[in-house]
This record gives sequence, structure tokens and C-alpha cells, in this order.
Amino acid sequence: MAKRHPIMRIFAAFAALALVVTGSIAVAQSLPRNETLYIGGHQWGPPTNFNPLSSSPAWPTGGNGQMGINGAGYIFETLFTSNIVDGSYAPALGKDMAWTTPTQLTVHMQPGTTWQDGQPLTSADVKFTFELGKDFSVSTTALWDYLSSIDTPDAQTVVFNLDPARPNPGVVERYVDTVYILPQHIWQAVADQGQSALLQYENFDPVGSGSYTVMSYNAEQIVLQRFDNYWGKSLYGMPAPKYVVHPIFKSNDAGNLALQQGQLDWSQQFVPNVWSMKNVGTWLSKEPYYIPGSIPMMLVNVQRKGLDNVLVRRALAYSINYPLIAQTAMSRYSEPARSSLIIPSGVESQYFDAATVDQYGWTYDPAKAKDILENQLHATKGSDGIYVLPDGTKLSFVAQTPYGWTDWMAALQVVSQSAKAVGIDVTTNFPQAPVDINDVQTGNFDLALFYISGVGPDAPWARFRDMMDNRSVPAVGQNAFWDYNRYANPAVPSLLDKAGAATTVAEKKAAYAELDKIFMQDVPGIPLMYRPLLFYEFNTSVWTNFPTADNPQGTSPQWYIDVLRDVKLK
Amino acid sequence: MSPTFRRYILTKLGWYLIALAAAVSLNFFLPRLVPGNPVDLIVSRFLQGGGGGASASKTYQAFITQFDLDKPLSGQFFAYLVNILHGDLGQSFSLFPARVTTLISQAVPWTLALQLPAILLGWILGNVLGALAAYKRGAFDRNLFVTALAVSSIPYYALAIVLLYVFAVAVPIFPSAGGYSFGTIPNLSWGFMVDALTHYLLPFLSLLVIAIGGQAVGMRSMAIYELGSDYVNYATSLGVSDRRVLGYVFRNAMLPQITGLALALGTLVGGALITEIVFSYPGIGTLLFNAINANDYPLIQGVTLIIIVAVLLANFLVDLAYGVIDPRIRAARSGER
Repeated sequence: MAKRHPIMRIFAAFAALALVVTGSIAVAQSLPRNETLYIGGHQWGPPTNFNPLSSSPAWPTGGNGQMGINGAGYIFETLFTSNIVDGSYAPALGKDMAWTTPTQLTVHMQPGTTWQDGQPLTSADVKFTFELGKDFSVSTTALWDYLSSIDTPDAQTVVFNLDPARPNPGVVERYVDTVYILPQHIWQAVADQGQSALLQYENFDPVGSGSYTVMSYNAEQIVLQRFDNYWGKSLYGMPAPKYVVHPIFKSNDAGNLALQQGQLDWSQQFVPNVWSMKNVGTWLSKEPYYIPGSIPMMLVNVQRKGLDNVLVRRALAYSINYPLIAQTAMSRYSEPARSSLIIPSGVESQYFDAATVDQYGWTYDPAKAKDILENQLHATKGSDGIYVLPDGTKLSFVAQTPYGWTDWMAALQVVSQSAKAVGIDVTTNFPQAPVDINDVQTGNFDLALFYISGVGPDAPWARFRDMMDNRSVPAVGQNAFWDYNRYANPAVPSLLDKAGAATTVAEKKAAYAELDKIFMQDVPGIPLMYRPLLFYEFNTSVWTNFPTADNPQGTSPQWYIDVLRDVKLK
Repeated sequence: MSPTFRRYILTKLGWYLIALAAAVSLNFFLPRLVPGNPVDLIVSRFLQGGGGGASASKTYQAFITQFDLDKPLSGQFFAYLVNILHGDLGQSFSLFPARVTTLISQAVPWTLALQLPAILLGWILGNVLGALAAYKRGAFDRNLFVTALAVSSIPYYALAIVLLYVFAVAVPIFPSAGGYSFGTIPNLSWGFMVDALTHYLLPFLSLLVIAIGGQAVGMRSMAIYELGSDYVNYATSLGVSDRRVLGYVFRNAMLPQITGLALALGTLVGGALITEIVFSYPGIGTLLFNAINANDYPLIQGVTLIIIVAVLLANFLVDLAYGVIDPRIRAARSGER
């Protein structure tokens, strides 16, 4: 046939077009591996804004106001950085801070602080940033429950005045350590347009004060480029990698594979059996490999029939195999959980009172659980092996946690097995996250494994508040943001205020011991394991000298810019 | 165009418009029937560890207002219809303040580039192989049939995982994740094209192989059925050439295969979720999956709307094509026999 098929003709035309287009453009732009550090585990969806005040800021502007802050110093800087290992803080934009009175925190800033566009960064920017939380509902708003005003006596000094009615220095220190300072000369115009404009501000070309700027971003990756005119160059030094790339993986497994193959240098993901990976290190060189940062808590709904009996809650607490949860669900990344709201290791160990926990708490002891059920509750076992209380209530409950939180789900499965072995029926339920969160907030659950506050300058205060403070908690059916099970004990509020206002370790320890005792006597929740705030693992095939417990170097071991100042090319 | 054909098209069009209206309404109400509230997730993130009073409910209310969730459902529905007519799919909740149209337009090219060639090529190769097997019989048929049957019954994600393990982990000749090498800035250059192609090959193969298998099995049985039919026997007994007979057989066996192709093309915009997850490949599947996980109504609506329109369009085109290819269908409508 002489005539070419029409499809072939179209194809040929396309091929010719592709040749013309591609031939005219240079070779692929690929970042040199020896100048690029690959980081993973902070960003899972397409980046949609670099606005730290928004509900879903992209890395590295997320975690504003939280101890899980994941990009402090990269683009935006904080006043200080807080070390979750020993509780110390290190200077960043701030030089030093001091409590001039119990309700007044004075911060002196570093001299010469400058925005990336050359404008000076002064105390006015700091005041402006914090006051955005007062005027609008953004990620820093909660601070203003404890703060009454901010003064700026001069361009380098900021004074935080606490609300004398609710003194809580810990909470204020946490925000001072974890709020990204924003440039007023750019954000004022946005704020003037109001709440909605502020939340919608995409800030795709962010001007910060840190050592990196955004070079490019799309749904597959975020690329940062080093900013060599950083104001703190001589004070803090510059980070080693010229580029930092955050690939956006679709699953944990893909990220873990990339770490194993050395395509990721630094990662914040749950990696099963991390010790078996070649060239991969963690903060601790042996179990539990990570620093505990939070307590996944099984909330017990004290409003539900059966669970409203403290002895039932106690029997349940004794029946759970905590060592098995640490071994299997947490892949040995946790010590077996103790019956305390205080994390027994790390910075909180100074408040942990082993004697109180031994006296009032519980451990894995199925015999003791049976003893409580039979001899104190006089429950009888039905033909299905499940105990029934004398009033006819069968000990049968549902435990829930969001689908996809794999280690949490595994922990509840252990709870289900070990409770059943004793004679308490616990079935698991894994709804989608929004459904589960709604159930928890509205108090619609029997048992729910949920997160409560982690370590930080205000810990463990916020954790006690989350578990035990019934003040301004709405009724079942409405959304609560702490005390989800609507547990109330009249002794708690005054103790909590005392702990919050305490200024010495001894005072705090005494107040926490009282609170912890009440927690263990009333069992409104059962700690199941310890989990790091952020995972921290690194592959040394390209970059080395990552800080570890044996080689701590800088002061902030976890996810701050300091790590990038320490790393070296292999 | 004959009047009967025009009537046939108009009737079809009417039905499709009714189906579209129903689907667009369901598209609005179904995501909202899922228990849970998109705002809870956001506010609990804001308030982790802090806050102790007014700020909690204030923040909650601010987002309810921002997302228009305080308006009555009927008002929200009306606004949704008006916005759709303007081509505005709203702003995502979970990826606020990104526009749904932006998110979808970033993902759709990857999904089309991955799936369209896999489906088309798989369809062509599968049908040719299936027809050949039916015609040749013997050892060729037995081998091909067994292989195709085996391949088509492998779940596509299982094949994806095997391919990933063998060619990206055990023998790492292909990259394990992404649409292109991380640290590469996408651009139109040979280097980038080659790089993107190496990332493309494994996910593409995992879809292609399965598609070939499925199509070949279907085509083979259709062709065998046609080969045994009266008109073939009659034609063969008259001494009509094999080539000619095969032409008729192929054409008749194609009809159901075309339907299958159209449906596959219609649903492909939904993305190959598990392929995307296994290879960490960009696309619309993970976008929809994450949207559902976060009760992100506008994003769920946006993606499913695209799927609805594509499926209806594909079906309509099939109906049109049938009208052209198969005169019996038109005839049945107008009562001609």
C-alpha cells in the first residue's frame, strides 16, 4: 500500500514535534548528590502553602507552636530551640530569656537579625507574630489563653506578660520555643484583610530569616536552596548541604526502601527493625533507639456502663500485656509502659516518682486482674469465658483507633488478646481518622487509643490537663479538645493550677505526684507505650556525622537546623 | 444522518443527562453521609497540648465558617451546583487553601500518561493474541491461553509488588519510587525524559501485562464462539477464503471488547490507586484516597465528578459507536427488522 495509515501519520507528527521541543532545551537539571541532602517523612501530600499559621502548612513550615515542629531554622526561625533530651533551650533569633517576675518573661534578641530580603528583624516582628494568634484563630491562638500582653521596650527586647489569673510559665515557654517568627512588612497587609485571607495565604515564595529558601516545589518533592547571606552566618555557621530535598512518598514502605537504599539521608518514619538496616543509624545505638516523646493513651470512657466502675478499669489495666506491646506493636522502640502520666526517661524523669507508681499503679498481672474481678467485684464467668458483674453487666467493650495507624492498631490487638485471656471481652474497631476523632471528641466510645500532649517545656503539665481537667469541657455529644472521656475529680483543678504556676522542680514534682496518684487511683486512661515525638534515623552512605546520643554535638538533636550544620560529606 | 439514527442519539442523550443529574446530586450528598467532620481533624491539630478555654471553640467556629459548613445543606448544595456550572470545584479542606482544580490538574496528566498507553496497548495486543490463539488452536493456543489466564487472574497490585521487589530491590536496575529522580527539576530534555521513562517502565508493565492477559482470554473465547457459528460454517463450505472469514469473525467478536475498552477508559481517570502507592507514582488515585481519609468533601466531589463525567462520556461514545458499527441496534430501536 502506498498510502500510510492515518494513525501512523499522527504518530509521526507527534514524534517530530517531540524532537523539535526537546532538542532545543539543555540537558536535565539534576542536583549534584554531594551537595544535596534528602530528607523524608514530614510531608505526605502535595504542598499547598508555606504559611505556618494555616491548617496544613507544607514542610518545612509545619508544626507551628508544637514540640513536633519539623523545620525550625530552615526558612522561618524560632526565638529559641528546645532540647527534648535534657530540657535545655538554645538561642536562635533570641539570645537569652529570663523570668523577671513569675508572670513576666523577658527575651533579648540576637544583634543583627535580618530577613532574607534584607530588612531588619526586630522585636516588632516578634510582637506582631504572636499577636496574630490573639486577633485571629490560627495555629498559635491557644497561647492567648495564658498570655495577656506583649511589650517591646526596645528593638531587641520582648516582654511577655502572663495572665495573672492563670499563670502557666511552661506553656508560654513552649510557644516561645516553637513559634515561627514572621516578617511584619509582608504579613501585615495579609492580616489587614482578615481571618479568611490569613488562612488562605499561600506564601509560595516565603521570605523568612533562616538558612534556606524555597527553590521549587510540586506534588512530588520540595526543594530548598541554601541562603548564603544568612544573618547568623558567623554566629551559628552555615549548614553543609547546598540543597535539601524532601521527596513526597505515597506510602511509608516507599520511604523506608529509599532510606535503606541510601536515596534518603535523613528520615522521620516508623521503620520496622531499623537495627537491621545497613548504614542506617538512630539517635540511640541500642533499644529503644529513639527518645520517648509521647504516650499513646487508651482512654477509658468513665461514662459507659461497666467502665464507670473503677475496679473494672483497674482489672482491665492489670490484664494488659505491656511488655508484649513494646516488643511487637512498637517494634522494641518502647520500654514497657508504666502506669504513670509521666514519661520515666528523658527530661521528664526528674518528675517521675517510682515509689508512688509502685504503690498506686499497676503492671501486667493477669492473676491480680482475676482476683479483682472475682473477689472484689464478685463477677462471675459466663459460659463464653467473659465475666459478668453482679448487676448483670457483661464486661464487653470496643476499643478503637484510626485505621492506618499501624502500630496503634497492633497495640489494641494485644490489648484485645490479653484482656480476653483474663475474661474481659475487648473487640477492636478501626474507623477512618475523621470518624474516630469525632467519636473521641464527642465522647462516643468505650475505649479509644488516642494521642495526648508529648514532651516539651510545659510537659507533663499539658498531659495531666488533657487527661484530667474537666473545666470548660462540653457535654457528651459536643466536641471536647481534652478530657475526652469527661472524667472529673474535684481535687484536680487546684492541683493542676498549682503545678502550672510552680517555678521550681521540687514544687512541680510534688504537685505532679499528687495528680499522678489520683490518675492511678481513678484510672481514666491506660498508657500503652511510649513513642518518639518524631522518628530520627539517618543513612550514612553520603552524609555522615549526624548527631546521636553518643555524639550529641549541637544542642537540639532532633529536627532542627543544627543537624544540618553538623553533617559532613563522607 | 437518517431520522431514526438522530432519534436514537437524542434518546440516549436524554438518558445520559438524567444520569448525570442524579450522579452530580449523589456526588454532593454521599461524602456528607460519612460520619465524622473535616474540621475536627484540623482543630485537634491546632490545639495539641495547648489551649485551655475560649480558643478551642473559637478556632472550631472559625473553620466551620471558613468552609461554609454552618450554612444549611440545601444552601451548600445550591452553591455547589452554581460553582460547578462556573467550572469551580472549590477549595480543598485537608490541603487548604489549594483549589481542587489545581490539585486535579497536577495529578491527571500522570494518571493519563500511565494508564492510557497501558490500557490501549494491552487492549490491542490482547485482542490480537486472543484472536490468533482461537484461530491457530493447538500448542500455541494452549500455551497462550494458560499463560493469559494465569496472568489475568493475578491481582494487578500483586504483580506490581513482585516487579518492584525483583527489579528495584533484589536486582536494583529500576528506581523504586517516584515519577522521576528526586532532586531532578522536571524539564523538557533528553536526560529528564530518559529518567522519567525508567521510573515509568515498572508501573506501566505491571498494568500492561495484566491488561493483555485479560483481553486475550476474553477475545479468545469470543472468537472461538464466532468460529463455531453457522455463518462461518456456511462461508467455509462455500469456499470463502480463510482471510476473509477471519475478518468477519474478528469484527463480530470485537463488539463486546469495545464496550470493555470504553469502560476501562472511562474509569481510568480514577487512577490506579494501588499501583500509585506501590511505586509511589504520582496520580489521582492517592489524591482521592487521602481526600476520603480526611472527609475532604470538595476534593472527593471534584475527583468523583471527573470520574462520573468520564464514565458517562465513554458510555455515550460506545452507544454512538454501536449505532454506527452495528446496524441491528439502530434497527431494533426503530422497529425495522
